[in-house]
Amino acid sequence: MNLYAHLIQPFADYGFMRRALVACLALAFGSGPIGTFLVLRRMSLMGDAMSHAILPGAAIGFLVAGLSLWAMSAGGLVVGLAVALLAGVISRTTALREDASLAGFYLISLAAGVLIVSTRGSNIDLLHVLFGSILSVDNEALLLVASISTLSLVTLALIYRPLVAECFDPGFLRAIAGRGSLYHVIFLALVVVNLVAGFQSLGTLMAVGLMMLPAAAARFWAIEVWSLAAVSIAVAFLSGWAGLLLSYNFDMPSGPAIILTAGVFYALSILAGRHGSLRARYFPGAHFHSAPEKTS
Amino acid sequence: MSDPVITVSDLTLAYDRKPAVHHVNGSFGKGSLTAIVGPNGAGKSTLLKSIVGLIAPSEGRIDRHGLKRLDLAYLPQQAEIDRSFPITVADTVALGLWRDTGIFGGVSAAGRRRVVEALASVGLHGFAQNPVGNLSAGQFQRVLFARLLVQDAALILLDEPFAAIDERTTADLMGVVARWHGEGRTVVAVLHDTEDVRAHFPQTLLMARELIGWGPTSEVLTDGNLRRARALAQYWNEGHSHAAHGRAA
Amino acid sequence: MRTAAAALAFGLALVSTPALAKEVSVVASFSVLGDIVKEVGGDKIALTVLVGPDGDAHTFEPSPADAKTLANADLLVVNGLGLESWLPKLAAASGTNARFATASFGVLPRDMNEDGKDITDPHAWQSLSNGAIYVRNVEEALEKVDPADAPTFKANASKLLAELAGLDQWTRQQLAAVPADKRKVITTHDAFGYFGAAYGVTFLAPEGISTDSEPSAKGLAALTDQIKREHIKALFIENMTDPRLMQTISKETGAEMGGELYSDALSAPDGPAPTYPGMFRNNVPKLVAAMLKN
Repeated sequence: MNLYAHLIQPFADYGFMRRALVACLALAFGSGPIGTFLVLRRMSLMGDAMSHAILPGAAIGFLVAGLSLWAMSAGGLVVGLAVALLAGVISRTTALREDASLAGFYLISLAAGVLIVSTRGSNIDLLHVLFGSILSVDNEALLLVASISTLSLVTLALIYRPLVAECFDPGFLRAIAGRGSLYHVIFLALVVVNLVAGFQSLGTLMAVGLMMLPAAAARFWAIEVWSLAAVSIAVAFLSGWAGLLLSYNFDMPSGPAIILTAGVFYALSILAGRHGSLRARYFPGAHFHSAPEKTS
Repeated sequence: MSDPVITVSDLTLAYDRKPAVHHVNGSFGKGSLTAIVGPNGAGKSTLLKSIVGLIAPSEGRIDRHGLKRLDLAYLPQQAEIDRSFPITVADTVALGLWRDTGIFGGVSAAGRRRVVEALASVGLHGFAQNPVGNLSAGQFQRVLFARLLVQDAALILLDEPFAAIDERTTADLMGVVARWHGEGRTVVAVLHDTEDVRAHFPQTLLMARELIGWGPTSEVLTDGNLRRARALAQYWNEGHSHAAHGRAA
Repeated sequence: MRTAAAALAFGLALVSTPALAKEVSVVASFSVLGDIVKEVGGDKIALTVLVGPDGDAHTFEPSPADAKTLANADLLVVNGLGLESWLPKLAAASGTNARFATASFGVLPRDMNEDGKDITDPHAWQSLSNGAIYVRNVEEALEKVDPADAPTFKANASKLLAELAGLDQWTRQQLAAVPADKRKVITTHDAFGYFGAAYGVTFLAPEGISTDSEPSAKGLAALTDQIKREHIKALFIENMTDPRLMQTISKETGAEMGGELYSDALSAPDGPAPTYPGMFRNNVPKLVAAMLKN
């Protein structure tokens, strides 16, 4: 069968498919590197919690202005940042550690968000907020997503060194620069901002999927920070592409199709990736590594 | 004694609201090589952290005589470092160039040369591109020392630098410490092995939450003082609070 | 004879709702019928409508209060043709002694396809000539139950019939402005079968989307293809709550939403289609305007 017809044609034929694909590309560039750092800093579940924290903010935006891009994004941003800061404060001033306080916020936010949407909207509205609608991305939304991705990449490049130091040797950063928490907060802000970018297209439940699954899959293929980020971006974009094609050919809802595809990539990576996968462990085959053996 | 680099006056430190260091007085002289010695739980690490600025004094003060944060190099115990993080040996050492690069700056060619030289000094020539996760404990400690070298600091603080590493590495790194002393830098190290201390460290600070002795090693590390330290340790190990105990001589 | 009839009516009235001594108590099943009954009955009747404005007569679930209302009624007017599947149970439960009248009696029924099955299309009122049949049936039923007020009913009915006749002519005139090859509309409403047959308009169901789930890429593509294939720009889709999806379709095809149509129920009294004639006066111009863009 014609490869072009299957892989490219649907995007050539329909503008909404093209825009959805471009949105996936922009999201990949923003979420991929952020997801990589989330995984490296062992903050994967925190990313999930943050995406739920955004929900009541977006819901309030929905209450005020319906399914408006700017209202919901602004609402999500404000509440998301507030929750991130609040969780940090609580972990610093009380006995509760950050992961437990975030878990609390996560559940409260999800329930609050559903409640708020239900007061004004129908079930369909709730579905839109939770699952997004990547097929109705318009030029305005594309602009927002692209801007956020660019901002995110630039900021990451700027704080790259302190961020790496904070992940790898936080004690060193504290001793040298004394302001480790500043970079932590900036990073959290980037997480929130990228989740806000993602949730219009993929919904609050799924936006974090495009952040975490490609980054988790990348660990089985790359071993340096920059290559991890690159693989994350690639997997995220391919998931978008394949997911959209699945939705096109098999009448599946597009958001979940994209995330499930990312999930399949992740599963394949666990099974057959280059580093640390089941295959590498049990069927090593040729030696790829050139690292020296451990000596004393 | 030469000019003081760090002076502590009546310093009391609480750690998690438990008393860790009591009423310590004294100074580290410029260019001195001092070992901090004492039983477990004596507050040695806590004292070091307060000098670095990570813990604020509950009472008393620390006078740093104009020394800035970036003039200090601190090597904590290894616990907080994430060895599985994907970073190379060279990049780890290059973190020590922070004073020159700042947050945003790139590493210059001169900086890169210093990294390579430092690696050679600690016996890790050729390891620059290795991921840190592949190294043994001893090799990794050498990397951290290379980073300290590159930091080019006036005051170097080491917390148990030779714990859990092999003899060969300990000897090599002790050589680096000697080199620093030779360059006129002030070095303070928390150590467990009193033999090492007697062999290499001219000054000793002996403490067991309170100061027992601070001065030339031969005068401080006496049998009497060491017995005193052990007795104090036993006292608080049996669950007594430290409140009503007398001051050190 | 007259005295006996009056005594009978009086007796009947005494047995029915005590508060409304002289008025006949009538229950109509849904809002469109309710409007017709109200016009014909005037102030001689006390009218209750079970499925009110903006309600869905297909999926209505009666409450105990409805059973009580029905129990006290003299006359129940229903659409028939399978619209009120909930009615037999309700009537049995209420134990009412009311007379039954089927407004669509005498209408030539059409078939429609719902969920893959062929059934009788109950929306007969969408053709005004059927509407006239409805009016006459209602008039006859009211006269049987309340013969004393027959003259009033006759007069009211004539007035309504005249209005409907005029409306029918107006509808045909309006539609005449649309060329034959443009008389097509895509809508999720499935109630316009009789309208289409009577006035020569083709109503197509939208491919690929439904009102209660998110469209997939395949569904959107199918709809886009359909719109382009049929050269239709007129879309009437209920409950499309995501305006951005509509924009996506518009950008892709040039099609636009034509506004809100009323087919299964009337609107609230302050809405655009509060009466049966009002429904046509709302729908027809919107249909015409949209079709002209095809």
